[in-house]
Formats: sequence, structure tokens, C-alpha cells
Amino acid sequence: MPKSFSSFLQLAIFYLKLNFKSQSEYRVAFFWQIVSMAINDSIWLFFWMFFFDRFPVLGNWNQRDVVAMWSVLAAGYGLGTALAGNSNNVATLILKGELDSWLLYPRAVLPHLLLGRMSVSSWGDFLFGVGAYLFLVHPSIENFLLFALLVPIVGVTVVGFSVGVGSLGFFLGSAETISENLRFALITFGTYPPSIFSGAAKILLYTVVPAGICSYLPVEALRQNSLELALLAAGGSMIVLFVGSAIFYAGLAKYESGSLIKLQS
Amino acid sequence: MRVLRKYLLVALLSARSNVVYLSEVVGRLLFLGVILYIFSRLWIAVYSHAGSHQVADLSIVQMIWYLVATEAMMLSGPRVSAAVDLDVRSGTIVNYLQRPLSYPLYCLSHNLGERTVRFFINLLVGSIIAYVLVGPLALSWNSVAFFLLALPLAFAVDFLSGFLIGLGAFWFEDTSGMNLIYSRMTMIFGGMLFPLSIFPDNVRPVLEWLPFSAVVYGPAKLFVSPSVGEFLSILARQSLAAVVFAILVYWIYGRASKRVFVNGG
Amino acid sequence: MNAVELNGLRKVYEMSVGSGFKREKREIAAVHGVDLIVPAGQSLALIGPNGAGKSTIIKMLTGILRPSSGDASVLGFRPWKDRVKLSYKIGSVFGQRSQLWYHLAPKDSFDLLAAIYDIPKVDYRKRLDELVERLSLSAFIDQPVRKLSLGQRIRAEIAASLLHRPSLLFLDEPSIGLDVVARQELRQLLRDWNRQEGLTVFLTSHDAGDIEAVSERVVVINHGQIVLDDSVENVRKDYLSERVISVVFHEDVKALDLPGLRILDNGGKKHRYELDGKNLSVPELVAKVLAQGDVADISIDDPPLEDVIAHIYSQAPGATNEK
Repeated sequence: MPKSFSSFLQLAIFYLKLNFKSQSEYRVAFFWQIVSMAINDSIWLFFWMFFFDRFPVLGNWNQRDVVAMWSVLAAGYGLGTALAGNSNNVATLILKGELDSWLLYPRAVLPHLLLGRMSVSSWGDFLFGVGAYLFLVHPSIENFLLFALLVPIVGVTVVGFSVGVGSLGFFLGSAETISENLRFALITFGTYPPSIFSGAAKILLYTVVPAGICSYLPVEALRQNSLELALLAAGGSMIVLFVGSAIFYAGLAKYESGSLIKLQS
Repeated sequence: MRVLRKYLLVALLSARSNVVYLSEVVGRLLFLGVILYIFSRLWIAVYSHAGSHQVADLSIVQMIWYLVATEAMMLSGPRVSAAVDLDVRSGTIVNYLQRPLSYPLYCLSHNLGERTVRFFINLLVGSIIAYVLVGPLALSWNSVAFFLLALPLAFAVDFLSGFLIGLGAFWFEDTSGMNLIYSRMTMIFGGMLFPLSIFPDNVRPVLEWLPFSAVVYGPAKLFVSPSVGEFLSILARQSLAAVVFAILVYWIYGRASKRVFVNGG
Repeated sequence: MNAVELNGLRKVYEMSVGSGFKREKREIAAVHGVDLIVPAGQSLALIGPNGAGKSTIIKMLTGILRPSSGDASVLGFRPWKDRVKLSYKIGSVFGQRSQLWYHLAPKDSFDLLAAIYDIPKVDYRKRLDELVERLSLSAFIDQPVRKLSLGQRIRAEIAASLLHRPSLLFLDEPSIGLDVVARQELRQLLRDWNRQEGLTVFLTSHDAGDIEAVSERVVVINHGQIVLDDSVENVRKDYLSERVISVVFHEDVKALDLPGLRILDNGGKKHRYELDGKNLSVPELVAKVLAQGDVADISIDDPPLEDVIAHIYSQAPGATNEK
């Protein structure tokens, strides 16, 4: 087990290096995609800070918590989709029969295919998140270490969720639109303060659309400097990843390799 | 007249080929459902905190229906800049230059045809969701008429901006970043998420005179609270924006197409 | 030892037909009970028109798809059960899909593949030197793939699939999208590697030309069933000897009337013949045509595979039940 894990880690580093090398063929585009994503995130954040200044409806949160919410979600999402760039493409890969290439290699299919692509603009999200937290929240070293622990936890949640909704493609055929919108729903719910939701919605936000795990719980952990809450989020992220992978592998047994489309056309 | 017919035909064809797929409608439903739900929660919190029926000159019902109008408009927009960017980079633009057909006008008619169909589907889906969430909007003949009359120029200005960004492909390695920032501008400073009336009095007039408000805020405001004076003022601002952008397109496109002939594509 | 053994292999797709309430499920058999044995070291071509089931068979043999019924053994493994173990022993080239990173040099992709297959450093270096030498890659191994010619690209592609020393190579429509030169290079390579290194080659194609150049055995498949299984020599003699010849003259010329030659088209300046290849050879015919007058253009084509299969059906009724 440890040997296969270290070999996986080596492979991950290799993919990262190759992806950077491949992207840097177009240096300017590479740079611009990252910068414009960071600008985009900043516009959002400043707008929401303005909004909650004008309409203070944050419950027991304050402006700093809004920044923390955007920072931890953006950094986690960025890290997750930068390294596992194909997590956003699962439905498309299934529909077009492009899992084939990954099935030909002597590697576990899911982790290997996730590594295969890097989403460049996601590095912009990551840099924005880390920067915003450092410069707007002014965390203590201890608090920043907690943030650094939470970022990969958020990343795992986002990637696990994306894999799960993308894998609906095995069962529905074409799930590109639906999985895209579900991913969008996770991120959108994750960028509004939980105080505005109540009742059944709260339950949904910790289960079906786990914005609670990739956003509210991490923010609460940062607010209270609580390692316990961070570990709770970590547990939640593992469950999301497990469920997502389970849907993927259950679907893989039914994989038709795009043959249906070819037959129909 | 015969020249116009050519472009009308393109528009009709593009509208017809944009047949409604069930999965796309389901996707829209999900997307609009998430957005409208979150915003209804957010505004309910804001209105109850303010303890008043009017916030930023609108009631909560008007506020949610305002969002229905802006989302229906913005979500219907085909990806102009990406398509133009691709035509430029792949060299397909040369095929258009050889035909007795203006490339910008061809794109415009294609765009409007597709957009009209999508707009009405979005409006229908959004209206159903808003009706369920906050009940009906008090509609008048004026609100419907002003809204519909303000749409063509709004779509045209939006198209022209996208077209300009797409033409950037002649000079820049990547235009997706610029497009991202443009769409963020229309979302926040164009009034897609909120009516511009929530902004402080010293910022508001500036935002209203920016072209972004001609695209989104203007028509949507007329939909929920129509007035003859505002209708005329919005048409004037839209026309100004359209003329300025059209001149810019004419000028830049002229320079760009010369480049194509000099460099042979 | 056998490289591949297929036993009543079947693959059925379920698809819904119609729309709305009239939607119903229908089963479509892509592969309809195929039995086949391929000894190690053989070079076999699986041919058939588009949609005949070739790709589905190859996908089942490489572990991508699970058959609906029947059994298969590839190098002693059941592909869909032992996918990972099998993948170390087989190589694959899928015509439309590249293993190479478009913006990077082939060397970068090779390095990655070495990591994917866990090839020890020393072995990798030795193997790479060998492949560079044999496939003459040295001139372009450090050039981005997008700058390579089609011929160079297919050589790099083959090298990528041979890096981990597979004993069986699957190729699914490898010649698709290649120009004439690149196609020749590919065929030459496969032939050499098969004859000199004993690599078992399992190739699908809808191009009759690939078969003659590369394979010793041909299996023709149509509608998911084997319609013919024979040596290339026999197939060439019986079915593939026909040629379609088109000639264009500068002036009007009377069409030739010779035994073994059928006139398909007679338009004064333009003639089209079908040559059966038994009574008259291509060089003989060309000599006769050139003697007729001032030739503007002449082309010699293989008959389309659809015609070959129609021919097989009409000539050998027993062949459809080949067991």
C-alpha cells in the first residue's frame, strides 16, 4: 500500500510538471487566465462586502467571515480543480467515450484520469483565496495553519462532489448540463452566509449539495480556531469523496464507451 | 430589402436549429431554481431586517421578478466572443470574408435568432419558479410592452461587446479572460444580480450611464416598474451605446480584415 | 501458446428508440457470438465495414468493455476482470486518439508513460534507445508533437505503445487520417516488428490495403459475425485481386475489350474498368492502355470493402458459418 501510494504521488507530480510545461507553451494566455480569474473573484468579494455593509443580514457573522468564506472556498476549489482538472469533465468523458484511454493504463482509473488535466484558471482562484485570506483577514500563524489544513479538505469535497454528479452520465447518457448546474449549485450555495437558510434547506446543504462541508463548517472552524470542527469537515469531505467514487465505479461497470452514440448516428 | 432578407433567414434558421432539448430545459430549471431560491432567501432576510416593504424602491415581489427578467436575458446570450475568437484563430473567418455577406451582420442575426428562442424559454421557466417562491408580479401592458421594446437594442449592445472582445483574438493570445471580466461587469455594474438602485447616490449615475446598464438593468427595471420617462431615457442610452459600439466594431473589424488579407489568414 | 482466445463472445447494447411515451428499449447486438483463436506471434487483421463490430471486439479484448456473454482470454487473462495486469502486457494504438501530448515533445510523453507503467529507470533508458534507433526518432524526439509530420507522429505513437515491451499490440483503425506516405511507414513498421520481434499484431481496419501489407491472416466481420477467416494469400487470390482502373485520354478513344476486363464506364475520353486480376495483370493492362493513345490521367484503386464483402457472400455461402 505505501509503495503504491508513493508511486501514485510520483505520478501526480509528473502530471503536474507536464501540465505546466504544456501550458507554458502559451505563456501569455496562461498568465492572463490566472490573473483574470483572480480579478473576477476579487470583484465578487468586494461587491459582497459592499452588499453586506449596506444590508447587514449576516446573523452572527461579520465582514471578516464573508472574506473567510470566499477565501477558503476559492482556494480549496482552485487547488482541487487545478490538480484534478478532469473532475469537471467526467460527464463529457463518459458521453464521448473518452474514458477508454484511461482504461488502457495499469492504474486505478479514477485517480489517474482526474490527474490527467490541469485547469489553469483554477490557479487564479487558489491564489486569490490565499491572498484574500492573508491580506484581508490578517490571520494569526495558528489560524493560517488551520486555513492551510482546510483548503485541501474543501478541495476534496468539491472534487468528490464533481465526480459524483459527473458520473450520473453513466446512468443518464448525457449528464453534461445537469452535472454542470449541480456543481454550480454547490459553489453558489457555498458563497452565501448560512444564516439566510433554514429548515429543510439546512439539511440539504449538509447532504445532497454539501456546501455546509466545503464552506460553512470550514468558516466556523476558522472563526472559532477549532481543530475539532476542521476535523469534522475533513470527515465530511471523506464521505463526499467516498460517495462520489462509489457512484463512479458503480457506473463504470455499465460503461458503453460511447458506442451508443456511434450506433445512433 | 433583399439584403435584409438574407440576414432574417440566418436568424430564423438559427432559431429553428436551436431546438429545445429536454436536458437543457432541466438544466435551466435547476440553475434558475438555485439562483432564485438563494436570492429570495437573501432578500427576505434584507426586507425583514429593514422592516420595510420597499428596499431600493422595489417591493420584494418586484425584486425577485426583476431577477427573473435579468437572468432570462443574460442566460439566453450565446457565447459570442468565444465563437468569434475561434473563427479568427482557426481561420474560418476567411470563408465568410469571401461571401457576399457581412461577417458581423451574419453573427448578429445568428445570435438574435438563437437568443430569442432561449430568452422566452428562460422567461417562462423563471416565471414559474418566481410565482412559486413569491407569488405573481402586478403586470401592466406598459411593463410588458416597454420590456419587449427595450430588448432588441439591449441584445444588440451585448452582442457588439462580445464581438469586440472576440476580435481581440487578432492581437491577443487569449480573450476568455476579458470575456470573464466583461460578464462580471454586467453582473454587478450592469444590474444583473441587483437593481442599480441599491448603490449609493454618488456611484449610481455613473453606473447608469455605463453601457452595462443599457444591456441589463434598463429593460429589467421597466419590466417591474415601468415609466414612460425612464423608457425614453433607456432607449436613448441604449442607442448611444449601440452607435458607439457599432462604430468601434466597424473600425476594428476593418483593420482586422485587412490584416487577414495581408497575412493570408 | 495462444495470444487470444474468444469463445462465443457477444455484446448487446440496450438503447431506447422513439421519443416521449412511445419510447421503448431495443437491444442491438454489436457482436454476435464470435469464436476466434490467435496464436502468439501471428499478425491478424480484423476487417469489415464501419459499424461491423470491430471496435467493440477490440474494446472487449483490452478490458474497456464487458461482454454480454461468452468468454475471452488474452495472454491468459480475462480482460475485463484483470484489466490492470493485462495492461502491462499489451500495447494499443487507437487511430483517432493520441497518447502523445500535442504541445510537448514525444520525449515528455514517453517519460510520463514510463512513470505510468512503473518502468525502472535503467530499463526505460535501454528501451528508449532501442526504439529511437529502430524507429529513427532521434531527429524529432525533442520537437513539440504539433510540429511533426504525420509519418513522424505515427512513429512516435507506435514507440509510445511499445515502450513497456508488450507482447501483443492492438491497433484500432490506425491508418485513419494518415496520408499515403505515413500509411506506408506504419505498415512497414508493423510488418517488421511482427516478423523480427515476434510481436503479435491484432489490427482492425476498413482499408483493404492495410491487410495485404501487414497481416498473414484476415478475419472479415460483418453485422457482428465472422464471415470469412482465411490466410491473406488466399483472400488476395480470391477476393482482393480485383482493381478498379480509371483512365482519362486527351482525345476520344475506343474502350478496350479484353477477357478479365469489365467496362464500368465508357465516356469517350474517360474509361473505367474492373479488372479481375486472373486473366490479365495490372501491368499488362496499363501497357495496353498507354499504347491506345495520349493518356492524361490514370488511377488504380482497390475495390471498396463493401464490394469485397458482397463478393464473399455471393461466392462462398458456407463461409458465413465459419467455426
